Amino acid sequence: MSYFSGIYPGLRTGLITLSWLPVVYTFSNHVYQPCQISGMSMTPTFNPGVATTEKDIAIVQKFNVRRPNSLVRGDVVMFRSPQNPEKLLTKRVVGLQGDEILAKSPPYPKKVAKVPRNHLWVEGDNAFHSIDSNNFGPISQALVTGKVVAIVYPFSRFRADIRKGGRDARKPPDREDVKLLDDFE
Amino acid sequence: MVLVDSPRFLASTISWTLKAGCVVHLVHEFVYEFTETRGESMLPTLQPKHDYVHALKKYRLGKGLKIGDCIVATKPSDPDQRVCKRITGMPGDIILIDPSSSSELTNSPSSCVYHDGFNKYIKVPEGHVWVTGDNLCHSLDSRSYSVLPMALIKGKIVAANSMDKGLRNSDGSFWFWNFRWITNTFVSE
Repeated sequence: MSYFSGIYPGLRTGLITLSWLPVVYTFSNHVYQPCQISGMSMTPTFNPGVATTEKDIAIVQKFNVRRPNSLVRGDVVMFRSPQNPEKLLTKRVVGLQGDEILAKSPPYPKKVAKVPRNHLWVEGDNAFHSIDSNNFGPISQALVTGKVVAIVYPFSRFRADIRKGGRDARKPPDREDVKLLDDFE
Repeated sequence: MVLVDSPRFLASTISWTLKAGCVVHLVHEFVYEFTETRGESMLPTLQPKHDYVHALKKYRLGKGLKIGDCIVATKPSDPDQRVCKRITGMPGDIILIDPSSSSELTNSPSSCVYHDGFNKYIKVPEGHVWVTGDNLCHSLDSRSYSVLPMALIKGKIVAANSMDKGLRNSDGSFWFWNFRWITNTFVSE
């Protein structure tokens, strides 16, 4: 601390605080970060607008989200929009790599979508008001910037369960496969 | 005694190391990075080995990039890997995907017809780019993983060094580890 000892005390405190800014910024980029969620694509999980119309603020986990197989179905992720790199979207993971998904068609051109390697199928909980994988297709996991772990504000929603919601969109196994298994036994 | 001071000294050393490390990290992420590249996909622009590139991070997320620029990006099919490619299609462009897949030099007559390489086009969607390596014969690029979201672009490559070359070239004249600018090679016809 001797570097700043000769300086006017207020300035000194200011400089020391300033010198911690890069650490705080790196922490919020790579460990945890509070984030405000706007829009209604994830209603009723986020921004239900029932008790209060204030926007939810959530804690976003920034580590261990891009590694293959680090996410599961039902996780709520934050990722950069493939259509506009400046925009962050929050959606629920519905399909993992290798899954066959029953897409909403239209807007998706095909009825069944196969999720490629290290890609995710993401959808908003509010199906009627969401721009998601049904519009832009499966997204690369490299676009994911974080995973929402909890809501912290408004305080009344502090214990809200964010794991509920979304649909099971996996294509059920074909009848013929089942029949083949029966024959095998 | 040294030990009396040591907790305070230790705390100050650790905190300054942490701060300095974070500053270096932020510079690498948002300003400038000097990093090694490997692989044959960018020959003859970059060597397969011993080449280091200077990347400007101001162009991250595809800001201000043009067709013909060299970029570093995360690989969409493998987030742990980074690739170095050249932008060969901007949003809205219509791209002939891979005419070489129907080239009579490398394909049998039946697969030339099957691949139909001269008739397969794609329109690059908003927020994406089409990237290919300079060495088209040995490059895994948009032809296999399709369009690349601009959000995966980490920076633009502006120059390169060959670290195995030293300070003199074959004529004996001075060069700085074969320092060369990497320029935009796009020619509009």
